[in-house]
Amino acid sequence: MAEVKTKGEVIFNRAAIVAVLIALVIMLTPIFWIGATAFKPRNLATTAPPTVFFEPTLSPFAKLFTKRSQLREPVDEATYAAAPWWEQLIYDGGESVVRNKKTGEATSSGYGNRYMNSLIVSIISTFLAVSMGTITAYGFSRFRVPGEQDWLFFILSTRMLPPIVVAIPMFLMYRAVGLYDTHVGLIILYTAFNLSFAVWIMKGFIDEIPREYEEAALVDGYTRLQAFRKIVLPEALTGIAATAVFCFITAWNEYAFALMMTSRNAQTAPPYIPSQVGSGLSDWTVIASGAFLFLLPVAIFTFLLRNHLLRGMSFGAIRK
Amino acid sequence: MARIELRNIQKFFGAVQVLKDVNLTIEDGEFVVMLGQSGCGKTTTLRAIAGLETVSSGTISIDGKEVQDLRAADRDIAFVFQSFSLYPHMTVRENIAFPLRAVRMSQSELDAAVNEVAGVLGIERFLNRKPSALSGGDMQRVAIGRALVRRPKALLMDEPIGALDAKLREQMRAEIKRLHISRGSTSVYVTHDQIEAMSLADRIVVMHAGLLQQVGAPEEVYNRPANLFVAQFVGSPVMNVSDIAVEGGAGAAVLSFGKGTRLPVAGGHVGHLPGQRPVKLGIRPEAVLLRHAPEPGFVETETTNIEPLGSHEIVDVRLGDATLRARVEPGFVGDGQKVWVGIDPERAHFFDGESGMALRRTA
Ligand SMILES: Nc1ncnc2c1ncn2[C@@H]1O[C@H](COP(=O)(O)OP(=O)(O)OP(=O)(O)O)[C@@H](O)[C@H]1O
Ligand SMILES: [Mg+2]
Repeated sequence: MAEVKTKGEVIFNRAAIVAVLIALVIMLTPIFWIGATAFKPRNLATTAPPTVFFEPTLSPFAKLFTKRSQLREPVDEATYAAAPWWEQLIYDGGESVVRNKKTGEATSSGYGNRYMNSLIVSIISTFLAVSMGTITAYGFSRFRVPGEQDWLFFILSTRMLPPIVVAIPMFLMYRAVGLYDTHVGLIILYTAFNLSFAVWIMKGFIDEIPREYEEAALVDGYTRLQAFRKIVLPEALTGIAATAVFCFITAWNEYAFALMMTSRNAQTAPPYIPSQVGSGLSDWTVIASGAFLFLLPVAIFTFLLRNHLLRGMSFGAIRK
Repeated sequence: MARIELRNIQKFFGAVQVLKDVNLTIEDGEFVVMLGQSGCGKTTTLRAIAGLETVSSGTISIDGKEVQDLRAADRDIAFVFQSFSLYPHMTVRENIAFPLRAVRMSQSELDAAVNEVAGVLGIERFLNRKPSALSGGDMQRVAIGRALVRRPKALLMDEPIGALDAKLREQMRAEIKRLHISRGSTSVYVTHDQIEAMSLADRIVVMHAGLLQQVGAPEEVYNRPANLFVAQFVGSPVMNVSDIAVEGGAGAAVLSFGKGTRLPVAGGHVGHLPGQRPVKLGIRPEAVLLRHAPEPGFVETETTNIEPLGSHEIVDVRLGDATLRARVEPGFVGDGQKVWVGIDPERAHFFDGESGMALRRTA
């Protein structure tokens, strides 16, 4: 039988759609604005009212990855013609790429390295937090752990202090043990930070998986570890996906620790992007292109895991 | 196939003793049903045999070999859970093949074994489906298939059909019985449904509060209950139990039900009862006899309630302080009518008023 809707319901549904559209516009406008600015020529970036229609250019990205200086006079045509496309874009903006005096190579701005650092640190720390968190959660869920409640509370309590409170003691410790400005240092930090979250969320998911699944495997000739791998892990996949996305977002966006614990070698993208604001003349197109690239990994990661997430976000409510 | 022996099994969960000295021998190829109320320790016993639960003391042997310290995986026993426990991420075929994958086995052997079991259980049609697309009965067939596929030494089933509806339960009961007869696997089956127990078991184990109350063939448990608990737990409707006083001796005796209601019986049936101790009479509804007219050995009373059950009716009559329930043909008597009630002394059970143990004629 088709669902019969009352007039009130119809009006409510329409109102809800309108409300959702308004919310969408409010939330997507900044993202659209960042995305648009990332492809604008510099002179259109700060016009008022904003330019909506323009010919997109990759020049902000060319600038983002290189170190530049102002051109005193325009380049001669032969040099321009011989330059690669990205260098031409920079010449177009009245700037030239700073080149190494000896090798003649273009000098990198450092954004590429920082972006790589962000990827390395986020991916590894997410992997560690989720895998250790899953195993720990399994232990808490399936075995009698003396003082289980206290341990779980203790694990959660590590998340109660805002990062900025512990940043200074951490900084001193890290400097003393040589972890300052290292990838390993940041990975340890983010793993520790995410682990408590991973344990709690994964415990919820694993509690939902009936013990009998593993017990059936145990009597059928499998070891506890094999049962975990073949039964628990596949069943916990949605939970693992959800936890991984959350951990990745946290690590990827982390700012305070990254700012204090790193300088050049292991610095991630978040502290770098704002550092470009106001160093000399702010080129907003470059900042927008940096921010735009920064948005991509989380968006891609979440998109890839979307099927698992939709089920995972209901926290086991519709399994079985 | 195997013979399983439990010796002096005790199990504590913290300070709570769940199994108190369980002794049981399950013969090779036997179908034993453990029957008891919720929480009496049936599942715990089964899990102990399977190795899913360690025992606090006692020994478990399979074919004479002590296994209580072996891992579940090394005991070669299969377990069917009430919740079916089919792995949702695997197809039916993969579910059934799963136990075989624990041991090295060629793909063709594996396929043959899966197909054979699927054929026996009539589940070939769903082999490529996910368990979530099956009905309850089919899920349980798959679960049994998964248990049987590697030909385990014994098959343990914990209320395997308890979650199904009545009609399906009856059908599955017959299938399990057929399967047992054709395969002859040593089976231990847990249930709190006595009809299931009666119809399936070679021997029934009645359990209560962590102790075995009686172990015996279904007819024996039904006809010669060892104590009051077994008497009242087995049989439906429940056996009538009333406090009585026994007067008189060898020749003829009278059972006094209080309020001056006395029922004469031949002395041979009660001669063995102790004189001074309180005694309880247990009598199944089919052994409570009703008459429309006075007869020797019958006393006059009235019906107080009638429960029509289609094939028969359960009639309540007062007898002194007691209410007896009698099983009669439909329409035998109306509510509130006068009847004469007696008992079949051959089928009367007497129990010690304090210990509840059966008081049997030693003859
Ligand atoms: N892991 C455990 N920890 C503590 N107590 C337990 C545990 N498992 C079972 N018990 C207790 O042991 C007693 C017996 O449990 P068991 O599961 O063996 O009963 P059962 O006869 O199978 O009952 P049911 O018919 O309800 O399945 C119950 O009182 C139960 O609460
Ligand atoms: Mg049970």
